[in-house]
Amino acid sequence: MKKNGTYSVSHRILTYAFLFIVFIIVFIPLLWSLSASFTPNNRIYEYVAPFSWKAFVPVDFTPEAYGILFGERGFGIVVLRTLVISLLTVVFGGVVAFAAGFGFARFRFRGRNLLFGLVMVSFMVPIEVTVLPLYIMIVHSGWVNTWRGVVIPGLANGLVIFLFRQFFMEIPGSMLEAARVDGTSWLRILRSIVLPVSLPVTIGASLILFLSAWNNYFWPLLVATKPRFRLVQVAISMAIQQQQIYWNELFAGALIAALVPIVIVLPLQKYYVQSVVSSGIKG
Amino acid sequence: MNKDKIVPYTLIAPALLLLILYRFWPTVLGLHESLFTTSFAQGGKKIFIGPGNFIHLWNDPVFWSSVIATVLFNVIANPLQIFLAYILAALLNRKVKGINLFRGLFLIPVAISINVSSIIWKLMLDSGGLVNGILDRMGLAPQPFLLSVDQALWSVIWISSWIGVPFWSLFILAGFQSIPRQVYEAAAIDGVSSPQRTFRITLPLMKNSLAFVLIADTVANFLLFTPVLLLTGGGPELSTNVAMFEAYRRGMIYGDLGTASGIVMMLLCLIIIVVGLQSLLFREKK
Repeated sequence: MKKNGTYSVSHRILTYAFLFIVFIIVFIPLLWSLSASFTPNNRIYEYVAPFSWKAFVPVDFTPEAYGILFGERGFGIVVLRTLVISLLTVVFGGVVAFAAGFGFARFRFRGRNLLFGLVMVSFMVPIEVTVLPLYIMIVHSGWVNTWRGVVIPGLANGLVIFLFRQFFMEIPGSMLEAARVDGTSWLRILRSIVLPVSLPVTIGASLILFLSAWNNYFWPLLVATKPRFRLVQVAISMAIQQQQIYWNELFAGALIAALVPIVIVLPLQKYYVQSVVSSGIKG
Repeated sequence: MNKDKIVPYTLIAPALLLLILYRFWPTVLGLHESLFTTSFAQGGKKIFIGPGNFIHLWNDPVFWSSVIATVLFNVIANPLQIFLAYILAALLNRKVKGINLFRGLFLIPVAISINVSSIIWKLMLDSGGLVNGILDRMGLAPQPFLLSVDQALWSVIWISSWIGVPFWSLFILAGFQSIPRQVYEAAAIDGVSSPQRTFRITLPLMKNSLAFVLIADTVANFLLFTPVLLLTGGGPELSTNVAMFEAYRRGMIYGDLGTASGIVMMLLCLIIIVVGLQSLLFREKK
């Protein structure tokens, strides 16, 4: 492509015009949701039909919906619970995949290729294929409405193992050998030599694990049915299926469910995009 | 040295155990389940019926309508999404001022969950929703969207594209960026025209990225399920009853795990075939 500033003016205007059109399509739903979530429930549709630009500005601005949501509806505890579940997934799923990635990348052992083949197959067989029988398994083991039933099946993530392995294969071997000669234990090498240099892949992998847990809807819908196990995505989806809908609360809840991953991913987007993309290009 | 032999196995053991227990074993169970039926006459006993579930499905018009919905969805959605993702990536690859801001903004739909996107779009497309408000303002008749047999599948395609296009464009953008700038500089010196540049240089060099997106998008769309569950429940008149949803309906609502697993296994085979064909197609041109 041409260097910065060598596009003609009309070319540049056209680029911005197209970007703006796509921007509108992508963001109109979000802007409307944001505005509606700060509007009293009975006035949300005032400027929708007949439509006016005022639909995107809260009429009679009020944070009431958020107040009710976090007050009497107890959405705060649902958010907190989902955060804890997501962090548990990041920590345990991350440690397990980190170790496995290192094992596959830095050791030669009998059955390595076969076992790594299994990992590759696991992230090519879509999770949807296994959901029904997995649910039956969880029912039989009595794990329905338990935290282990919600979290543990989501820890096995072939993609994240693959990401770690690709990264560790590129670490210079001399670094590790020096430490081995000194008689340092593998646990220490992993903690004090490998972990510090693998920050980019660790961040990327953590983001993928976090999103997989926070955005998970179908699995908690099946295995966490009791109110005290309610997670964010299930909670807002139940709200839309109720007879009487409090629109502003629904919009507010949906936005909070969306906001958490956005706030986490945007500042770290470089690592996220790198990890997501390398799963496709290298795989 | 002997101790070192155990180290790699110790490192990979937890991950493999989890994968085998929660990914592979359920797949085997699903295959097993698809060969059995539950007899309520015998107190819920499982009876081996071999290919019985598949024969049952073969003779079931509802199953066939779900096959048609799935094929229709894929034939429209896959090319559309890949084409739009290519356009978006090409736009985001332009080196104009503020482009990094746009790249960040288009990550937002990627970070949002499928069901939040589905819920927001359900409200957008409602009879009194924002889209109909805008149509009305433009002097156009209101549309039923998700409530109509003719428009529901299109609406689901639209919503799944709103979610999918920014995601797939990430991979295509990465593909664009992996093309060395010198290639284009050389082409510019030789006076290559713009369409020639696209078809002779960019597309061939993008083959791997596009192949990945085509395959991954196909797999994702064959298994599309959440928007249907939340928005239409397969209706109206089964017009959005895609195969994965048909499996869910049978398995989770009617408790017929045998035929539900049968559908899932057929989908898995179909995916393996389609992915195999697509990778063959891309390999041969090398």
